[in-house]
Amino acid sequence: MHHHTLLLVAGLLAGFVARTAGAQEPSAATLPARPEAIRFAPLVYVPPKAADHRRVLPDGTVVYLAASHEFPLINLAITFKGGGSLDPAEMPGLASLTAQLVREGGTRRLPPAEVDEALDFLATDVGVAAGDTFTTATMNCLKSTFAESLPLFLSMLREPRFDAGRLETTKARLLADLAQRNDDASSILGREWKRLMFGADHFEAAEPTEASVTTVTAERLADMHRRIFHPGNLIIAVAGDFEEQAMLAVLEKALAGWERGPVATGPAASTAMPSPGLYHVPKKIPQGKVQLGCRAIDRDDPDTIPMLVLNELLGGGGFTSRLMQKIRSNEGLAYSVRSMLQPRVDYPGDFKAGFESKNATVALATKIVLDEIRRLREEPVPEEELETARRGLIETLPRRFESKPAMLGVFVNDEWTKRPEGFWQAFRDRVEKVTPADIQRVAREHLDPAQLAILVVGDWDEIAPGDLEKRANMQEFFGGKVTHLPLRDPLTLAPLP
Amino acid sequence: MRSSLSSRRPAIPFAGLVLCLFAFPAAAQQVAVEEFALANGMRFLLVPRSDQPNLVAAGWVARVGSVDERPGITGISHFFEHMMFKGTDTIGTRDPSKDARFRAEQKAIRDEINRLVWTKQYERFFKGEIDDPWDPVNDTQHLRVLRGRLDELIKAQQGRGPGGEPAGTIVKDEFDLVYTRAGGTGMNAFTSYDLTCYFITVPSNKLELWAWMESDRLHDSVFREFYSERDVVHEERRLRTESTPTGKFEEQFDAMFWASSGYSWPVIGWPSDLNSYTFDQAQDYWNVYYRPGNLFGILVGDFDPAQAKTLIEKYFSRLKPGKRPPPPVVTLEVGQLAEQRMIATGDFPPAVEVRYHTVPAGHADSYPLDMLAEILNERTGRLYAGLVEGRGLAATAIAASDTRKYAGLFSIAAQTRGEATPEQLEAAWYEELARLQAAKVPERELRKVKNRVAADNYRKLESNMSLFVQLALSEALLDWREINEAPAKYEAVTAADIHRVVRKYFAATNRSVAIYRRQAD
Repeated sequence: MHHHTLLLVAGLLAGFVARTAGAQEPSAATLPARPEAIRFAPLVYVPPKAADHRRVLPDGTVVYLAASHEFPLINLAITFKGGGSLDPAEMPGLASLTAQLVREGGTRRLPPAEVDEALDFLATDVGVAAGDTFTTATMNCLKSTFAESLPLFLSMLREPRFDAGRLETTKARLLADLAQRNDDASSILGREWKRLMFGADHFEAAEPTEASVTTVTAERLADMHRRIFHPGNLIIAVAGDFEEQAMLAVLEKALAGWERGPVATGPAASTAMPSPGLYHVPKKIPQGKVQLGCRAIDRDDPDTIPMLVLNELLGGGGFTSRLMQKIRSNEGLAYSVRSMLQPRVDYPGDFKAGFESKNATVALATKIVLDEIRRLREEPVPEEELETARRGLIETLPRRFESKPAMLGVFVNDEWTKRPEGFWQAFRDRVEKVTPADIQRVAREHLDPAQLAILVVGDWDEIAPGDLEKRANMQEFFGGKVTHLPLRDPLTLAPLP
Repeated sequence: MRSSLSSRRPAIPFAGLVLCLFAFPAAAQQVAVEEFALANGMRFLLVPRSDQPNLVAAGWVARVGSVDERPGITGISHFFEHMMFKGTDTIGTRDPSKDARFRAEQKAIRDEINRLVWTKQYERFFKGEIDDPWDPVNDTQHLRVLRGRLDELIKAQQGRGPGGEPAGTIVKDEFDLVYTRAGGTGMNAFTSYDLTCYFITVPSNKLELWAWMESDRLHDSVFREFYSERDVVHEERRLRTESTPTGKFEEQFDAMFWASSGYSWPVIGWPSDLNSYTFDQAQDYWNVYYRPGNLFGILVGDFDPAQAKTLIEKYFSRLKPGKRPPPPVVTLEVGQLAEQRMIATGDFPPAVEVRYHTVPAGHADSYPLDMLAEILNERTGRLYAGLVEGRGLAATAIAASDTRKYAGLFSIAAQTRGEATPEQLEAAWYEELARLQAAKVPERELRKVKNRVAADNYRKLESNMSLFVQLALSEALLDWREINEAPAKYEAVTAADIHRVVRKYFAATNRSVAIYRRQAD
């Protein structure tokens, strides 16, 4: 696909004409004093184009293909629109349970154990899972068993049996999972954060309860199945060892007679806006877990690119980011510190920073995060630091397209979400153009320390007083006013006394 | 556009890799590895491939892990993994000689702190006068002064003392900065019981940078921030072990399971040892284990092997061979005489783990034991059929054969469903075990598992980094050729072999059982 390899080799050769390999004992004197002294062959990365891989079947079904003959494997992924976003208000988790039962519950012709046995003997991996806004079904098999595997896979998707015994087993596993929801503080943090950011009723925050799980019936599963699993609501991606024309013919035949329905409705926007303030959920652990942030922007907002660069500077860029340097490297207050911008396609997503620190230094680390956010608003970022952040974003782009299934996954997602064409090709230039003034402007516009929510899960009596050296305590935030959120019953999610 | 919340440089073994490692099919294409050795003893494994253009997975392995440690320095292998990112006289400082003076002054004070804690504070602790000899709350006046001086020196070195930044000598995280600017991604490292591995993905045209950076830190690491970094590791320990529901119990179960073996202490180390490492101990460890004869490098991806060899020779030849080879690990596990049980109560679901001592990686019995785990696992495996669906007692159940360099274990772990108790799950496992001991696995069942093992082999070769990790583990534990030779060994496993190991290693006296119960409110 790319032709840089040749160029690269030529460049390296040119650099070594003066030296015959192994002819002399190398000494330190011959090595460049610093890495900046090394001259590299140019290598300009051009992201692959979706159009080069996109095909349309006669019935209108979109298929993305990427052949690769290195291994005798075929990887097929079908992405359906809709997931948790389609859950009815009284039954969160229905789409997810439907996907699990499509996988687990057998087909019209075969009981579940026989489907599993057949797939396992063929060594074919099949998975079906519902996410927030998409449901994906994947099949990975040896080329030699593709002809046998595909019909099994498709009958699973087309004619699921929703076997009663498997439904009970799956519910039991789900209930066992629900019962653990308070065991690990990070799962409490994640749950309460989504409630704060998107509102408890929004599908992103809604979680199943014992009641919603036990009342699921095969009929409810079948309803949800009809909404999601049909050719009018899917895009196919195939990577691996196949010939293109033959694959298109096989897929066309495999989809024949499968009734088309309407495209599933898009996700509802979250209209709730989080209330700024300091929040706490109790948990007796020796380390407080903290997340702080706000709702920020949606994916196609013109500020998304500068915000991504800002995130890289603040806490998205690993060890080169400000939070990591201040909180981990300088102060040793945490092992992991990060910030994250997660723009949603249909409504503003959240921006958050988070860390875990021993109880006494939770306040100090929180204070440093807020100081760093303020600094982004008040001081222009030095050009050298900005350049590191730009490089961090630009240079990781090839990794997105590194494997063929991952590359096709980007194309499929972009098509479903109508990402503006040429986005990846223009990405580099747009990031290059971000200036210190842009960073300061978007920080002022989207990150106001007074408008943030700070969520702490941990032992408040230990956390509130702050550190031994009295550098910070929790009184400093929002005038010491803290909202103590209740721990929720793991099965019912009702507040515990 | 990175969206991952996970931190870099996490340590501790990759759970699950153990099983992946030894599962190559007979039909597998051979991975063509070019071996290459330098005069100083460092070896390299080169696998050029171009399916993922312009990228190379690059890294190296030190043949040392927590099993090579001893009481007093447990966790030092993992601590070293942190130290290796702190720079050299070239990377990480703007004034190497002044920086060296800072380090020498810090060492003198910290050695004195250690001496006082190990004597005075430990004595007060043993007498019950204080609850923790290392907690600064319990410091004597003298210790408080010393700790204050150490803290000032650390700040001054970082440019946060009097005189501010110009008076400091550290360029923070410059190692990361150089790679990030050059397009290096996924830089990371992990420490396990048997090895320490460092890796990154670099653009193909930056291979020389990789050779420069890695040979520089292997040539000249100075253990900068030796004292402040242990706060970070303490936070890592709190995060991974102390704040997770089962972390501390799993640590205790390991310590109970292994009697004499070096696998009994955690990779991250005991807290008292983490506080205690001295600079001299680190230097000794470095001189023994981080010498070229104990290291090997790996490149997988889009590169020209001839050019790579030229670069490797140019840069890595500067590493000086060690004066003495690493000492052998001589302490063998003593062999268990009686069943051991641990009953744990806490914020976790009711569950059971049953563990048996088995054999090290590469042992003839390790192949049938790995196949036994396959027979038990997955949707059509015996644990799902017997415990989850059949008896309806388990929500989940999984088997694992964990064969390490010097010893191995086989484990069954299951979580209860509904009102079932861990003891019922335990009993159900013994029934399944009795079935396996009574009759051989049917041929079709064995064939099914072999098919899966064969297909999984290809799946694991697909990404450069996955192949990199498998080469690292194979070569560190046995020999890289194992990735090509194991398939035939798995294909050759018979139902009689599985029957034999199931009767040999699963006696009641050879097992340790952990019962997990949920704490009542």
